[in-house]
Amino acid sequence: MGSLKPVGPESNEQQGSGFFATRADFLINWSRKNSLWPMPLGLSCCGIELMGLLGPKFDLARFGAEAARFTPRQCDLLIVAGTLTWKMAQAARTIYDQMPDPKWVVAMGVCSSSGGMYDSYSVVQGIDSIMPVDVYVPGCPPRPDAVIDAVLKLQKKIEREDPLGRLIGPATAPRPEEGTGKLVFQPNQGLPKGAWDKHAHDPKSRLAIGDPLPRKTEVKP
Amino acid sequence: MTLTKQVFEYVPAPPAGDDPLHGELLTLNMGPQHPATHGVLRLVVTLDGERIVECDPVVGYLHRGKEKSAESLGWHKFFPHTDRLDYVQPLMNNIGYALALEKLAGIEAPPRAQVIRVLLMELSRIMGHLIYLGTQSIDLGAVTIFFYAFKEREKLYEIVDAYTGHRMNNTYVRIGGVYADVDERVERLVEEFLVEFEKGLGDMDALLTRNRIWNDRNRGIGVISRADALAMSLTGPVLRGSGVEWDLRRTQPYCGYESYDFDVPTGATGDCYDRYLVRMEEMRQSCRIVRQALDRLKTVKGDVLVEDRRFVLPPKDLVHKSMEELIFQFKVVTDLRLQKGQSYRGIESSKGELGFFVASDGTSKPLRCHIRAPGLMNIQALPMLAKGRLFSDMVSLIGSMDFVMGEVDR
Amino acid sequence: MSDANATASAPRFVAALGSLPHCVSQSPDGPVVEVELAQLKDVLRALRDRAGFEMCSFVTCIDHYPSEPRFALHHQLLSFEHNDRVRVRCVLPGENAPTCTDLWPGANYMERECFDMFGVRFEGHPDLRRLLMPDGYDHYPLRKEFPHHGIEPDKLYREWDRARREQWTEGAQ
Repeated sequence: MGSLKPVGPESNEQQGSGFFATRADFLINWSRKNSLWPMPLGLSCCGIELMGLLGPKFDLARFGAEAARFTPRQCDLLIVAGTLTWKMAQAARTIYDQMPDPKWVVAMGVCSSSGGMYDSYSVVQGIDSIMPVDVYVPGCPPRPDAVIDAVLKLQKKIEREDPLGRLIGPATAPRPEEGTGKLVFQPNQGLPKGAWDKHAHDPKSRLAIGDPLPRKTEVKP
Repeated sequence: MTLTKQVFEYVPAPPAGDDPLHGELLTLNMGPQHPATHGVLRLVVTLDGERIVECDPVVGYLHRGKEKSAESLGWHKFFPHTDRLDYVQPLMNNIGYALALEKLAGIEAPPRAQVIRVLLMELSRIMGHLIYLGTQSIDLGAVTIFFYAFKEREKLYEIVDAYTGHRMNNTYVRIGGVYADVDERVERLVEEFLVEFEKGLGDMDALLTRNRIWNDRNRGIGVISRADALAMSLTGPVLRGSGVEWDLRRTQPYCGYESYDFDVPTGATGDCYDRYLVRMEEMRQSCRIVRQALDRLKTVKGDVLVEDRRFVLPPKDLVHKSMEELIFQFKVVTDLRLQKGQSYRGIESSKGELGFFVASDGTSKPLRCHIRAPGLMNIQALPMLAKGRLFSDMVSLIGSMDFVMGEVDR
Repeated sequence: MSDANATASAPRFVAALGSLPHCVSQSPDGPVVEVELAQLKDVLRALRDRAGFEMCSFVTCIDHYPSEPRFALHHQLLSFEHNDRVRVRCVLPGENAPTCTDLWPGANYMERECFDMFGVRFEGHPDLRRLLMPDGYDHYPLRKEFPHHGIEPDKLYREWDRARREQWTEGAQ
């Protein structure tokens, strides 16, 4: 397996990788990945499949992610299921902001991934234009199996995070975009645990790319 | 047939004067992300204590511009968009659109296709009503019913999956018929489903119909009189719950519904409980129709698509072999032309009268494709029903009006 | 079939219309009454009161741009007693039309939708606001000159987002 590695000396892969930190990271990641609490933002058709996913046949509880809560303040996994319109975007962004850190986002279905078949005047062309996304699930709507696969992939992604580094390390930018020439291919290497592989929703990381998110939640006067 | 009322006496809510919070107005925002609004509906509710003074539904959070899409895509390419209207019953919407276009084109589906359409429509109706049952009951605290309903829905998805190859949003209906024939495996699955579903429906019936909580939270709430129902353009189970025996399958039949034997249930008072009874009975009647359709499938043989190359896609295996058919395929998809004029066709979907009003100016793009969504009318009636009720009744009301936002917002 | 019913009962509502000027034609789904804007309200009222059309199935508009006058209003009515439908078509000289919410309260949302999508102003409507698009939206999407991709679709969201961020930075300082 190969991986993409950022060019230049600023990649601080070794940082925070002492024995204690590694074991603590492992423990934290293990507990996080097996107890995801999804926030089902069922917007349209995919919402019905999401209900089926939580239902008896597909049973997301087998992967530790069945505790769906309808308030964002209790959840750490936002599943955006369906077409997001610009009218709804404010509500969706508010929900995303209200979720406590750490949080992850799954874009379920082509509509939330890219706008899908709705190339029209009212539809957001992919929710990544208003919030960072961890896993995209194709399909219109995706079968529940595909969403389970996405949750498993997200669990793998959580395994690679370094929560302690995020807590005490310096603010660094998240991974550069592919295709910008800032990444080189490294054959026969696993995905390294480095600064760029940090959590996309990390306020510190986002500060480094000039898109800060507030730590405190919005309080209305 | 009128459904008989039974069991408990309805105890009315206490008078407004007993409410300690009486006199203090509070504006509450419910939605657009709320588990009880079934999608992205937003309700701005003004409360006086526990009582609703005013309720203003705000819709449009799922407005995807379908009617505009129809104008820029063309007749044939709009089919996949109709699936996503009322996404709990995609095949029903397909058929509604196909019927409207067939009327304008002046063609009619072959007999076997009509039987298949009836079969699909009735299975879709059960799908739609099961969503009503599951969501209404989970909102009122009966979580078991949600799982029961979704267990049955999964079996329906298996049938649809076996027939079309996808669980939802299966664009399988064409102008002049359906894409492919039903095979024996699907027929067997449907037969098995009918046997299991009757037992499952009986279980849900036993858990709900005489349930004290269910009765208390549904009876006497959201009463719609006959005159109100007509004035507010309500259709479907909501209208029938108010005692109007009006079912488009019976009164303005399509797809040969006049030759099927079924009853049209009506309620007596028009409250949430009556609408529940009507929907339960409709599911049983749908099973009856599905049985008859299955019997007919054994005798009615023949094509499932009209052989009319002006409007109908050629079979896929021929497209790969023959130049002529490839050209026809290209012409139908990109440049399907219908006669100049307007046509409206309403069908009885599980929510009410789902109508497609199509206007053609003779070119390959529709001049206008208006979708008459029953759900929008049901939402429109919410302020009228909620006024003066307790806030907790709002949940019963939203559930019993049974709308799907994909269709409401289009 | 419904078509046969509708054709047979066409004279029924013609008698109800009396001396009101109109023109009845046939479409694939039944009779269409064409009226002038001045007579629209009277014709609708006559159809409701004297011909028994108890329900307004839908109200919608068709944009005939670039030909002028561009908007045509369509009211589809349904009679339960006689089991037939009729469509009333009215070409609008401008952008104004009389409301029919006093005849059928159910037409409220449909007229709001017409206003939202085409900018047709219904005089006498109790609550003429946008229905589907957000309140501050500047355009009428179903007009023919409006592009399918939209004009600045994210404008309102971006404004909201900017105001929100400014509020946060003020709070942080």
